[in-house]
Parts: sequence; structure tokens; C-alpha cells
Amino acid sequence: MANLKEIRNRITSVKNTRKITSAMSRIAAARLVKAQQAAMGARPYGERLDQVVGSLVASLGSGEGEGEAGEAGAAHPLLLKRSGNGRVVIVHITADRGLAGGFNANLNRAVGNFIRKEREAGNDVVLLTVGKKGRSFFQHSGQRLVRHHDAPTLGDLVVKAKMVAAEVMAMFTGGKEGGDTELPQVDRVYFAYNYFKNVLTQQPKIEVLLPFESREVVNDERVLPVLEPGRDALLGHLLPIAVESRLQQAFFNSIAGEIAARRTAMDSASDNATQLIRELTLFYNRERQAAITKELMEIIGGAEALKG
Amino acid sequence: MAETTIQLDILTPLGPKRHGVVVPGVEVPGLLGELGVLPEHVPFITPVVPGVVRFRDGGESVRIAVGAGFLEVTRDNRVVILVERALEVSEIDANKAREDLKRVQADLSHDLGSIDAAEHRKLVTEQGWLEAQIRATQP
Repeated sequence: MANLKEIRNRITSVKNTRKITSAMSRIAAARLVKAQQAAMGARPYGERLDQVVGSLVASLGSGEGEGEAGEAGAAHPLLLKRSGNGRVVIVHITADRGLAGGFNANLNRAVGNFIRKEREAGNDVVLLTVGKKGRSFFQHSGQRLVRHHDAPTLGDLVVKAKMVAAEVMAMFTGGKEGGDTELPQVDRVYFAYNYFKNVLTQQPKIEVLLPFESREVVNDERVLPVLEPGRDALLGHLLPIAVESRLQQAFFNSIAGEIAARRTAMDSASDNATQLIRELTLFYNRERQAAITKELMEIIGGAEALKG
Repeated sequence: MAETTIQLDILTPLGPKRHGVVVPGVEVPGLLGELGVLPEHVPFITPVVPGVVRFRDGGESVRIAVGAGFLEVTRDNRVVILVERALEVSEIDANKAREDLKRVQADLSHDLGSIDAAEHRKLVTEQGWLEAQIRATQP
């Protein structure tokens, strides 16, 4: 028979845990609105930018319009498909902190599978991690990490996207070997993040960042607009912005997703704690009653014996 | 059936500043100089440099300081200005901007030799953005 005092301690401890989880859930709920609005507000900018650059790139491929666009020499360096050393880099975007359900674990697993597939295809994989959870997962598996940044916040997101974009563009267009600012040359750049579908669903996604590919299906009937200055100069101006913008979007999604995942996880943790407390209390009361009954029986038994 | 108005969107990564405002025209700081966009403009794309976007919304004239980005005029008579940042006049702290500008200009003038190219570019961008804010507050 379990000790009454033990059960009582257990109940107190679960109650304390519930206090923590429900506080975390409430904090996440308060922050969620802001992060969600930021993620949603950023989408029109990113989508429009993607469309414009996408249609410019598509018009380049079809060879219409000005210049000898069909020639490989005319293409912007960020558009060129490379087949140099078969190395790829993955920008792995996770959170700094855990206790957010499967948020970090799902993405880590997805990236792990992706790395395995790339390796089987004979490619060397390096990682650029954003967020401590991604780094600590791959640190001990012998995976080469080239750079690390802590997870972005709504305040420094724009600056951080600029920094990461500059690093991957440098790696893609040549790289820097040696020294402590080593950035190896790569053929392709991927980025992995949790897409914020809605509060309950975050989808791990791995997409190509460079060479730049247009995402949208471009409407061919579209009249090519007048470009000023010429298309190549315009692409030179817009492509780095588009790369930055894709990272920004990924950061926004990751921040909103982390908070949403934490809220959902902490909510269900609080529910589980409540359930556990109810069961333990029931058990405690039953045990207590059993103890009282037993004592009573002993007293009655003793009295009967004296009478006899 | 000539159109007399044009729809204006100003989008930034931190959310739209203006969405679907109907205006008679808009003035934008382009890479090749200040340019005005009127209704029935031909489809057009050009980079935007830090400066002031001006347009009339109803009876009042509006000035918005913008950072770098680009401008797109689409076939359906819409102007989309996509910029990395934008501030309305009411959101600008002109005195702070002036002080910051002095500091940035000072850094630029006496540090020219020692700072590397990236740092220099950052300062120049910052200078352009601060000047845009100050100009937006001066009618």
C-alpha cells in the first residue's frame, strides 16, 4: 500500500508543474498574437517580391525581351547552376529554446533525413544553424557546422536575415577558405524551417535558396513591363533583396511557429497535469478511507476481545 | 474611358503601410531620379532609393519616408512600392533623426580610411535613410 504522505507529495509536485506549464501557455498566448500578425503582415511583401523577381527570371529563360538573355554569360551569378565540388549548405532554422512540442525535433529529423539523402547522392553537406536547438542536435553527430546564429527575434530579424543572406551568397559565389571566417564554396544552398500554416500546424519545409528559382507559376500572357534600368541591372539589384526576403519570411514563420507550438504543447501539458491530479486525489482519498476503516476495525476488534 | 485614379500599395517586411489606397498620382524617389506615376502608366519596374513618397489621399497630402526597394506599375492600374522600411511623418522623431544623422556623418567624415567597405556601405545606407526621414518632416 502506497504511503499517504508519498501520494500527497506527488500531488503537490504535479500541481507545481501545472502552475509552470499554464504560465508558459499564457505567456505564449500573449506573444502569439503579435508574432502571428507580424508573420501575416510580412507575407504580401514577400509574395509580391517573389512574383516580380520570378517573372523577371522566367523572362530571362524564355529569351524574350532585350539583350542576349539566352546566353549563359548574361545570367546573374546567383542564377547559375553550379556543378563544382558537389557541396551543399543547409540553413537550418530552429528555436533557441525547447518545451515546444515537436517543433524542433520534427525539423531536426527532416533535416537529418535530407542530409542522408544528399550524402547517398554523393554530395558533401555543411550546415549553417540559426537557433541553438538545431546546433545542439547536430553538434555531436560529426556534422560539419560552418556558422551559427542564435534564433532571431521580431526586433533583430531584418538585420539577421541580411547577415545570413550575405554569408550564403558569399559561399555560393565563391567562398572564402582559411582563416577563422572560413566559408566553404558550395553548389547549392537550401533552407529548412517550420512553415506556420496555422496555430495548430507547423510544417517542416526544406527549400532551395540558391541558385535562385522562381516559385510561382508565371503567367505567360503577362506583358513584360518596361524596365528601367535594363533587366540585368534590375536583377542585380533585386536578386539579393529577394534572397534576403525569403530568409526573412522563413524567420517570421519560425518565430510564430515556435510560439504557437509552445502554446499548444503547454496547453496539453496543463490538461494532462489536471487529469493526473484528479486521479491521484481519488487514489489518495480511497487510501485514506481504507486506513481509517482498518484502524476502526482494530479498535472494535480490541474492544470485543476485552468484553469477551 | 480614361482612368483618373490609381491604386497604391506600400508594402514592407514589417507589414503593409498602405493597401489599396486610391490616389490621383504618386511621386517616388527612383534610382534614376524623382519620378511621378499617373493613371494609365505603362507596366513598369524600377528600383527605389531612400527618400520621400508623396501622394494625396482624399483631401490631405501624405508624405512617407521610405528605404531602398523597388516600384512596380502593373497593367491593372496598380502601383506597388516594395521597400525594406517605411515611416509616416507622425512616426518620425525628427530631432532624434537629426542627431543620428550628425553622428553618422561624423563617423563617415573622419573614419573614411580605417573602416572597411561593408561598414562604410552600412553608414551610407543609414545616412540616406535618416535624410529621407528628415526630408519627410519638412513640408
